[in-house]
Amino acid sequence: MTQVTPNVAGTDRELIAFRIGEQEFCVDIMSVREIRGWTPATPLPRSPAYMKGVINLRGTVLPIIDLGARFGLQTGEPTERHVIMVAHVGSRLVGLLVDAVSDIVQLTDASIQPTPDVASESVKAFVKGIFAVEGGRMISLIDLEHVLPAEAEAEAA
Amino acid sequence: MSDDPFEAIKVTFFQECEELLGDLETNLLALESGDTDIETINACFRAVHSVKGGAGAFGLEDLVRFAHVFETLMDELRSGRKPVDDITVRTLLRASDVLNDHVSAARGAGPAVDAERSQALIAELETLTHGAPVSAAPGAGTASAGEDDFGFTPLTLALDDLGGGELPPLDLPPLAFIAPYAPANQEQTGWKIVFRPHPRLYANANETGLLIRELGRLGPVTVEMDDSGVPLLDALEPNDSHLVWTMTLDAAVPEIDVRDVFDFVETDCDLNITPIMSGAAEVLPDLGLPDIGLPELGVSDLADPLELPAADASAGEVDIAALVALAQADTAARLNGEAPPLEVVSPAPQPQAAPVAARTPPAAAASQGAATQAPVTIRVDLERVDRLINAVGELVIQQAMLAQRVYESGLARSSDISLGLEDLELLTREIQDSVMAIRAQPVKSVFQRMPRLVREVADMTGKRVKLITAGEDTEVDKTVVERLAEPITHMLRNAIDHGLETPQEREAAGKPAEGTVKLAALHRSGRIVIEISDDGKGINRQRVRAIAEERGLITPEQVLTDDEVDNLIFLPGFSTAKEITDVSGRGVGMDVVRRSIQSLGGRISISSNPGKGSTFSMSLPLTLAVLDGMVVGAADQTLVAPLAAIVESLTPKPEDIHLVGGVDPVLMFRDEFVPLIDVARSMGFRDVPTELRGGVVMIVETEAGQRAGLLVDAIHGQRQVVIKSLETNYRHVEGVAAATILGDGRVALILDIDALVTTGRRRNSTRSDLKMAS
Repeated sequence: MTQVTPNVAGTDRELIAFRIGEQEFCVDIMSVREIRGWTPATPLPRSPAYMKGVINLRGTVLPIIDLGARFGLQTGEPTERHVIMVAHVGSRLVGLLVDAVSDIVQLTDASIQPTPDVASESVKAFVKGIFAVEGGRMISLIDLEHVLPAEAEAEAA
Repeated sequence: MSDDPFEAIKVTFFQECEELLGDLETNLLALESGDTDIETINACFRAVHSVKGGAGAFGLEDLVRFAHVFETLMDELRSGRKPVDDITVRTLLRASDVLNDHVSAARGAGPAVDAERSQALIAELETLTHGAPVSAAPGAGTASAGEDDFGFTPLTLALDDLGGGELPPLDLPPLAFIAPYAPANQEQTGWKIVFRPHPRLYANANETGLLIRELGRLGPVTVEMDDSGVPLLDALEPNDSHLVWTMTLDAAVPEIDVRDVFDFVETDCDLNITPIMSGAAEVLPDLGLPDIGLPELGVSDLADPLELPAADASAGEVDIAALVALAQADTAARLNGEAPPLEVVSPAPQPQAAPVAARTPPAAAASQGAATQAPVTIRVDLERVDRLINAVGELVIQQAMLAQRVYESGLARSSDISLGLEDLELLTREIQDSVMAIRAQPVKSVFQRMPRLVREVADMTGKRVKLITAGEDTEVDKTVVERLAEPITHMLRNAIDHGLETPQEREAAGKPAEGTVKLAALHRSGRIVIEISDDGKGINRQRVRAIAEERGLITPEQVLTDDEVDNLIFLPGFSTAKEITDVSGRGVGMDVVRRSIQSLGGRISISSNPGKGSTFSMSLPLTLAVLDGMVVGAADQTLVAPLAAIVESLTPKPEDIHLVGGVDPVLMFRDEFVPLIDVARSMGFRDVPTELRGGVVMIVETEAGQRAGLLVDAIHGQRQVVIKSLETNYRHVEGVAAATILGDGRVALILDIDALVTTGRRRNSTRSDLKMAS
């Protein structure tokens, strides 16, 4: 497991890192309730393309968001090797479809750098900041608050 | 709920107030309809009395004062000194409304009581009681007016001390028993009370000693005990009651005050209260009775404690601390227990136990239930029931999944496992039904609130209205009950404000001046139907039509049936009131009512007969937790259509399907063309149209009565499904009412028939617009 080099002594956050395509992202580990394999979802009519539909999580109807598609990245059809991170977003519980969970990292807020301008607009909307880990990898910290479609957006889709 | 036991009891008190006030209203209405049975009057009296009793313990003075005046009049009625006439009953009804307000205000749930109104009613009640108002000082809500005839001295609770062993000295003057007392009345000097407790009195945690002490507050009391009924030891049944007490109260207090003392034990004893006239003063031989101090109360009167029945013996040993504890527990019991049907009756309450947890059985509850042996019931936190219902929902799904797996594994139908599964299914279904029944509640709780509304609206509009209710005992799921109140309120207002005519108009039309509004509930084919009908003027169709045209809701050329015209009032943006009245024109129209009913999976319609009246009828599912659905397949998806919306399903014959304008398919169904909606396409599951000739069509009817055909690939069967909200974790999706989980563990969407049909129509119309434009 790779260790983050903290800029300031002490660790503030524990994050769970995951891959979508070639890129690595992470979210606060406290917001993730469980991680499970992909199961086919029931599609929802008139929903944005990144809404994969809903699955049954032990009796809870869980909406599945294809995070890659949500960020505007190229994604294919999910396979059995994809995973769903079940996360709290506000008062809701949603499933985030990603390629794989890669790491658990610890870092302080001070080591987070603002998102550089080079990132595409759609990614920037969800990325709170980026930071580097050993081995020259760059991980983007995701803000989950905006992953669910806004009212107007879902209506239009 | 608060940790503070006092607060907790207060919460319980208010819960019970609600029930008591409901009972009061029901019984007053019974009186109004001519049922002047003494039991009915007694029930009213008891309800008011219990509210007063509880309120006193919490020091809610305004409430106590009002309840006291109310109670005094009720007492006149029950003693037969005053006849039950129309004016009295109507005043009592209005007084019960104000009593309600007092309770709400005390609870902090309502605005402060209109002091003038309250005072005015107090005056009215007193006029009825005494022939003239007694209380002076109108306007002063908390004035001490009438304090003197306050025979009611509440024992204030001090619950902080309940848990501990050490109790503070009782704040009562023990000397009250021997205090000199000057009789105020020359003719009547006191009361003689012969009191023979039944064993149940003790079982209900009442104590003769406490009663005597209560009586002692009214004046000097002499107590004689007759132990001649006590059998010899070998024949002694310790739980029986053998003692007879004769108490002489040397004070000319009103009879009601004396009865008050025994009110909670009335049905658990033989009680004989007779006035003592001045000539008969010799029955009070020993006025300065020396030793009846409170602590010794029981002991000094008991010839031989050893011979006492066990229940009495406890009274013989009480020290002052225990007495206080008992008194507190007893008061707590009264607070907790006034509502008969909802209590667990446990035999012997422990004074030291936390009052709420102990759920001490009240004497009054037993006495109320005594007439019609009420079923033993318990109060349960709704959340616990919901948890149970959810768990059972999961059980149903798991059971179905298991059954499907076993079926798929190829086991023979007759194998042990398959047979066991069938039993399991039956059992699961039974558990589900029983659990759902726990939440089922009679609509009474909603109906009870309506007479008041009707009175108020009638007052406001200057109309005379009689409300008739029927089917109050019809049961539906609690969630449905709660959400019935708003639409019913609105429709009742509407019926009185718009439906009924003024008394003059009615008389001119040859109808009785008093209009009738009927509110009825009934079960019909697995749904609850609420009907609100009035005998007013009916819907003015010409006016409705004119308004609808004016608002652009219909075109002048449109040909509409009478029914269709009537139902125009449900369209958004329609309100027939010429000016916005205070009563029903609060910016919400019937469209809001319809929407709130639709959101419950219900439908509403109106039928009207000009000059004779209108009937609104709404039908709702009995529960919001499960739904009877038709499981269908469209594209490769499984969907559920609510069974209630389905009229019929059929395999369409090719010659019955036509294309309007070459594009939009319609189906000939019973000499009527209905639009055909391709579900798979409409839901976006498939781009190409479903093969018309291979599919199955469900004829559905929307809330508004429109029919349409839903084209699906296959119908899999009928099933009861557990409704899961999409909104919990996602949001509303157009065309989808909710979701459910099927036997294979996958989520299936429940179709929103109305949305599907209207979108289908909209889509058709936009398309034809486009064509016309091109």
